[in-house]
Parts: sequence; structure tokens; C-alpha cells
Amino acid sequence: MGTLALTAGARPRRVAAAIALLALLLLISIAAASLFGTADVSWRAAFAGDRTARTVLLDIRLPRALLAALIGAALAAAGVTFQTLLRNPLADPFILGVSGGAACGAAVSTALGWARIPGLVSLVAFCGALAATAAVFLLARRREYTDPTRLLLSGLVLNALFSAIILIAFALSPESDLASAVRWMMGTLFGATWSDVVLLALFVAAAMIALSVIANDIRMFAFGADDAKSRGVDVERVQRIGFAVSSIVTGAAVAVSGIIGFVGLLVPHLIRLIWRRDFRALLPLCALGGATLLVLADLASRVALPSSELPVGAFTAILGVPFFLSLLRRSR
Amino acid sequence: MLRLEGVSFSYDRLETRSRPAVRDCSASFRPKQLVAITGPNGSGKSTLLKLVARVLAPQRGAVLFEERDIREWPPKEYARRVGYLPQDPDPAFPMRAIDVVVSGRAPFLGRFEWESDADYDEAGRALALCDAAELAERYLDEMSGGERKRVFLARVLAAHPKLVLLDEPLTALDLSHVQQVSALLREIVDRTGTTVLYATHDLNFAAAYCDRMLVMREGALALDAAPSEVMRPEVVRELFGWEARAVGGWLVPRV
Repeated sequence: MGTLALTAGARPRRVAAAIALLALLLLISIAAASLFGTADVSWRAAFAGDRTARTVLLDIRLPRALLAALIGAALAAAGVTFQTLLRNPLADPFILGVSGGAACGAAVSTALGWARIPGLVSLVAFCGALAATAAVFLLARRREYTDPTRLLLSGLVLNALFSAIILIAFALSPESDLASAVRWMMGTLFGATWSDVVLLALFVAAAMIALSVIANDIRMFAFGADDAKSRGVDVERVQRIGFAVSSIVTGAAVAVSGIIGFVGLLVPHLIRLIWRRDFRALLPLCALGGATLLVLADLASRVALPSSELPVGAFTAILGVPFFLSLLRRSR
Repeated sequence: MLRLEGVSFSYDRLETRSRPAVRDCSASFRPKQLVAITGPNGSGKSTLLKLVARVLAPQRGAVLFEERDIREWPPKEYARRVGYLPQDPDPAFPMRAIDVVVSGRAPFLGRFEWESDADYDEAGRALALCDAAELAERYLDEMSGGERKRVFLARVLAAHPKLVLLDEPLTALDLSHVQQVSALLREIVDRTGTTVLYATHDLNFAAAYCDRMLVMREGALALDAAPSEVMRPEVVRELFGWEARAVGGWLVPRV
């Protein structure tokens, strides 16, 4: 444990310092993401009035980097919330059928030939995510509060059902639309626009505020729902708000970018290994960490090969996993 | 300070398939009492404690704390006065003992507030009281069952509750710590006027330290009496199915 134990003190000042450090890292990542790319442009040229440079930097790279940050923040914040509320280190933002529902919506709308109407696939995917989450909750409801094990199992089983529907939808999809559907399933930030950024920023801000308000209650789930209840926590209400907010913000992120794995699972564990286990500190740290990781992963996926863009979800794993494993080996 | 009025609870809400876990329990408790709740496995001890801790709500009857139905108490207010230790609390992620204990101060914190130095001092004192000061920086998952029990007891005591509910706080403790924790509970009751209700299977230790013993059987309160009345061979044979003989005020197995 050694140095890790020293940084484990739960004090607002230390948490604030960690937040400042990660925020700085995020800013540097966003700056790097807007500087590097296949097109050879510079900020100086953009300010000098070079139209191409302006377009590449301001309308392509910057919104894309910001969108990556927002999606990373959304997925990591949702992940840490699910893990804490469900008391399960394997929970991720997609656990409650969010990804399955979204993918199902996207696949079915592609099969129906709706891919040619801009934004429609995203909208149906978002609705699919919410519908799937609602279904999982209804299945898992039991007596006084929602049972975490039943919730996880219902999510898993529904995800399996969704996979089946997706396969059928793909088989029935027009050949020409399949490529975009597959790209969506792999997750991509290609074609990010300012309106995407603004829309998702609203979702992420609202979710962060809502989760911060109940953070002091969510952390009390550390010892189980019964214990939290005896400490005066309205377990039922906190669970409902926490799950709903996390699912909605995940659904919004998925609708914009498709399914980007690993961030929601990896980042909370990384932060826990480096800093703390207290949810109040984990929430902002995970959001910033997730944002940084996805900005860097997206940059890597853009510049790794000069000719084509690689799936960003693969790079979150390629960047995150070695870091994670080395930390895991050094910690207790 | 605490009164149970015909409290019943069944895990099977329709109450058709199985008998209620707790049925028609009535009892009242004054301040400054150390009370052991005993009874065979599945007799309703844990459920009764959960009903008083507001973890479960009775389907019939009422629990009154300071003459007020506990359903009417604001949850945080109640949590400041009543501390509950579940049977096997276990954090989902590794935690240091001091952080576990300081989380016992949670009902006193505002929505965005963090524990202050004073809260940490309080937690440190509670750990010392439970003979666990040296465990403060250690992680729960590298402790023995008995050490963990003492840390969680400290967590309850860190809030200075008026009523303490402990679900089998003595299991997993070695004999010297059973004695030490029993003596600690006695001392807390005598010194601060707290009332402590704890579930236990160890009749002899309970009788040695408690003012009063409740014996539960099949969800009902079968006996509510002074230890001397419970600690008789014919009583434990009847209520626990235990063949024992009395030796100098203690019950020992008849072999």
C-alpha cells in the first residue's frame, strides 16, 4: 500500500487538489486533441484568417474533443454511481440494459430504413435506452427496495434478448445502411457538431448536479441498504434518482456516439486505486478522469493510422488497461 | 424511552404461507438498561432489531421512541439518537477502519458537508473505547472477524446514540473480547444512560452483564425477565431445547 495509503485521507482540501490536477490534465488533453490530427493546420493560421484552419480547428477538432470529454464524463460518472449503489465492482453504465436498449433502437431503426433521416437513429436509440432501463426496474422491483442482484440479473438477461433482436435487425437491414450501423455499434465521435456538444453538456451538467445533491446519501450504500436505511437515508428514493439519472445520461451519451465501452468500468477503479473510495470525492474525480481518458483515446484513434479512423472504444481499453493493471499490481 | 406495542412483521406480505417473523411483541424499555435478546435461530431477534432501527416497518402495531411513533420521526433525527449494527456489515470496496468509524457521524452532516476534524476525533475516541485504536489505519479486509466487529461497534458509538441496537455483536469475538465488549456495553449504559439492546446466543455472558433478558421463540416474546429467572435448567430446556445444569449461577452443558 505504501504511498497509496498516504493519499487516502478523506479531506475536502485534498479532494479539491486532486480535482484541480485532473481538470488541468483534461485541459491539456483537449488542447492536444485540437492541435494534432491528419490535416496540417495551426491555431496561428486560424487566427490569421485561414478558412481551412478555422474550419478544422473550430468546427471539427474542438467540438469533437469537447464531445469526447462530455461522453467520458457521463460514462464514468454513471459507472461509479452504479458501482456504489449496486455495491458491485463489475457494474458499468451499460449494466441495466442501457446499451442493449440503445443498440436495439438503433439497429431496428436502421432495418426500417430510417438511417437516412438525420438524428432519427440517435433519438430512437435514446428512447430504447430509457425503455430498457424502465423494463429492468420493473422486473427487479421487490418489496421495500430494489434488490441489486435482481437488477443486475434482469439487466444481463435483457441485454441477451436485445443482442438477438439486433442480429435479426441486421440480417433484415439494407446492405447500404449496414456500415453506419456497425460504426454506431463500435462507437465513434466522427462528425461531432457544436449542437451535439451543447445538448450533451446540458445532460451532463444536470446529471452532475443531481448526483452531487444525493452524493452524501449514495456513499452510505457502502455497507448495504439496511445499514443506509438505519442511518436515516431514504434508500428507495436515492436508488431511484441515482439509477434514473445515470441511465438517462448514459442514454444521451450513447445516442450521440454509439457504444463506447470500458470508460465507465475502468475509470472508477482507476480513481479508487489512486485516490479514494468515498463517493463524494469519486464522483467529480471520475467525471474528470473519464473525460480525459476519452479525449486522449479519441485523439489516438484519429492519428494512429494516417489513412483511416479506428474505433475509439478500442483505444480507451488500449490506453486504460495497462495503466489499470500496473496500478492493480502495486496496490494491496 | 422505547415502547413496542403489538408489533408484527412478516416477510411474506400476504402472511399466508409462513408464520410472521415477529408477532405481537410488546415491551417497554427505560433509559440506562442493558438488555440481551436471546432465542433460537430464526426466532425473530434480527427482525425485531430491524423494526426498531427503522430498516423494516411493522405491518401491525407500532414502535414508539420517546413517546413518538418512529414513523413520524424525521429519518436523520432518529438516526442521530438510535444506532444500529447489522449482523454482518461489509463494505463493498476496501476501506480503512477510521473512515468506516467516521461514517457513523453521517446523520449529523449537512447535504454537502464533510466530516470535520472534530468528527475524526470523535471517531478516534470511539475506536479507543472499543480497544481498536491501533486498527485505525488498517483496511477492513485485512482484519479478523473480531477486529472488524469492534470497528463497527465503534462506528455505532461514534454518534453517541441514546439507544443502541446490536445484532450479535459478540459472535466471532475471542473470549477475552467477549468479556471486554460486554463490560464496555455495561460501562456505556452505566456512564451515559444509554439503553443497549443486543442479540446474543451466549446466555452466560448475557446473564453476567445484563439487567434484563428477552427470550424470543417463533417470533413471539416468550419471556421478558431478570437474568436470574432465565438462567434455570427447566427454562432453557423449555425455550431453547438445551439440556443444561446450573453450577454456581452458570449454566453448563449436561454431559
